[in-house]
Amino acid sequence: MKLTASGIKKDFPRAGKTSNFFTAVQPLDIELSSGRLTVVSGRSGSGKSTLLNMLAGLLTPSAGSVCLDGTDIYALSDGALSRLRNASLGLIPQGNTALNSLSVLENTLLPSVLYSKCAPPYETAASLLGQLGLGSVKDEKPSALSGGELRRMSVARALLTRPGVILADEPTAGLDDENTLLVLSLLRRYADDGACVLIVTHEDEAGRFADEQLTMNGGMLSR
Amino acid sequence: MLSVRKLPLRNLRGYASRSAAIILFAALTSAAVFGGLLLTGAVRGGLETVRARLGADIMVTPESAKNEFDAQTALIKAEPGYFYMDSDVLEQIRSIEGVAAASPQLFLASAKAGCCSARLQLIAFDPATDFTVQPWIADTGTTREMGLMDVIIGSSVSWPSADNAVIRFYDSECSVIGQFAPTGSALDSAVYMNFDTCRALIDACRSMGLFKYADFDGDRSVSSVLVRVKEGYDAESVASEIRARIGGVSAVTAAGMLSGIADGLRHVSSAVKALMLAFWLPGLFMAVLFFAFMINERKKEFAALRAMGADRRILSRIAVTEALAANLAGGLIGIIVSGVLLCAFGGLIAGRMNVTFVLPPLGKMLLTALAALLPAVLAAACSSLAALGIISRTDAALLLKEGE
Ligand SMILES: Nc1ncnc2c1ncn2[C@@H]1O[C@H](COP(=O)(O)OP(=O)(O)OP(=O)(O)O)[C@@H](O)[C@H]1O
Ligand SMILES: [Mg+2]
Repeated sequence: MKLTASGIKKDFPRAGKTSNFFTAVQPLDIELSSGRLTVVSGRSGSGKSTLLNMLAGLLTPSAGSVCLDGTDIYALSDGALSRLRNASLGLIPQGNTALNSLSVLENTLLPSVLYSKCAPPYETAASLLGQLGLGSVKDEKPSALSGGELRRMSVARALLTRPGVILADEPTAGLDDENTLLVLSLLRRYADDGACVLIVTHEDEAGRFADEQLTMNGGMLSR
Repeated sequence: MLSVRKLPLRNLRGYASRSAAIILFAALTSAAVFGGLLLTGAVRGGLETVRARLGADIMVTPESAKNEFDAQTALIKAEPGYFYMDSDVLEQIRSIEGVAAASPQLFLASAKAGCCSARLQLIAFDPATDFTVQPWIADTGTTREMGLMDVIIGSSVSWPSADNAVIRFYDSECSVIGQFAPTGSALDSAVYMNFDTCRALIDACRSMGLFKYADFDGDRSVSSVLVRVKEGYDAESVASEIRARIGGVSAVTAAGMLSGIADGLRHVSSAVKALMLAFWLPGLFMAVLFFAFMINERKKEFAALRAMGADRRILSRIAVTEALAANLAGGLIGIIVSGVLLCAFGGLIAGRMNVTFVLPPLGKMLLTALAALLPAVLAAACSSLAALGIISRTDAALLLKEGE
């Protein structure tokens, strides 16, 4: 599997003195391929999340294209893009995105039930939660969890269906050293199993797990 | 097992207080609408039933009975009375132009004492000429010919010993051979018999010293004459002809007797309309508002679903199902509660308002219930629109950031 972005750029409208828009991501190319783990770091506001969301099919670039195995994902209809995202993309968003009415285990299972009528993979979900140290809270409601636990829950949720592409926006934010290592090595393992993995992080530790390290600065990507 | 189809209900339960508020407002709305429609329907039904059961165009009573008998309230206030006039009146009435049929009745009131089962209006009719009571006897299911000391009772009359169907007036036993269907009017607490039975009871009453007329002649007395007007004649003008030609009587038309109830119906309907409006618009507004609040609060959850690959159809289906489920649940609760309350206390309320009350048949009630669900459906539709607006205006990528 291969995710390629060519010449993608993002302008946001902004009331400014010189121009009425602001370029959060300058035109750039990036390629994620199977078995590789890419780390993007950079200062706050440098455009990391904007880039990641464009790669995830959630934010239409102002220019350029994003292709998954040769398919221009932004040329797809909403239905087709959504199904593609469900089947091939595991996204760990920057914010807390739990559904408060469901238990931790059910939240983890959500991606698997959107289009399938089969019984959701309870075992897989429980084992993932166990690996992330959440075995004892899997039946709690998200409101009972700490910030770090919620973070790990969204890692489990993104990995549940073993997607070909994993996009992680600060997956280790708010985690202690031990859990940071746990999450990073888990993501490394998925890359080794053939996934394309992109991690946006401030964590220096992440470098040890990366095949490629990129830095974002003022919307520009550099090696 | 977790599935997308179960999400809406899980969400409603998860946001219990918001959902409860929506359900409450939907319930209030449909309770007001269903209660209102049912109440007006039942009052109108009562009016129709009484009109049918009355069966006569004109009722003639002695003028001297004015204090005891108020034609406008006689059908509503179950205050039994008795009064008499000379039976010659009958022939005089029959001779008046426009009168198709005239049949006498004889009244007595039972006493609320040891001798009697309850204080009731006793009415004797003349089987040979009667056209107002007998048509309804077949409906009671009785096949027995009405003989001496036989009675047919109104729907709200109860007799003490159910097993042998006997009711006692002035220490005389009468056999109950049938019971009329409810009319929601004073007719329900009347007891019907033939003239001979009534005369026997009058004698019993008199011998107990409870009869108030000293110079009563049973063979030459009637209490009222019911008149049917010939086709092509106006009841009101025949009634005034009767008043003009016969001294000492008052003649009131069916329309006149029913006018009290008809007025009541008008009052009830306008009150109900005002009530329905007062509940419906604010209820609708609040239900939609609370739903919009709830969806807005959960914007991030919808964005999360989107991030894991839910398309717009899935999100809309969740929102629409939630809106429908909450509003319909509320609607059903409102309908059931107001229906039960009205079935239990409707008669009482109607009595206070001086109107008759007969619940419509079940089929019609169900139709009314269906109609009363329409506001809930409308609220669901508006809520869905509001929710879809909120969801379509939220950019998933924006919401997936920290802090928003
Ligand atoms: N929807 C938007 N409208 C306008 N400006 C935006 C929008 N989203 C992001 N920006 C701007 O784009 C820039 C990059 O934002 P982005 O969220 O990508 O930063 P980031 O590198 O992820 O930062 P952090 O490390 O704090 O998460 C910021 O200056 C931000 O203000
Ligand atoms: Mg970010």
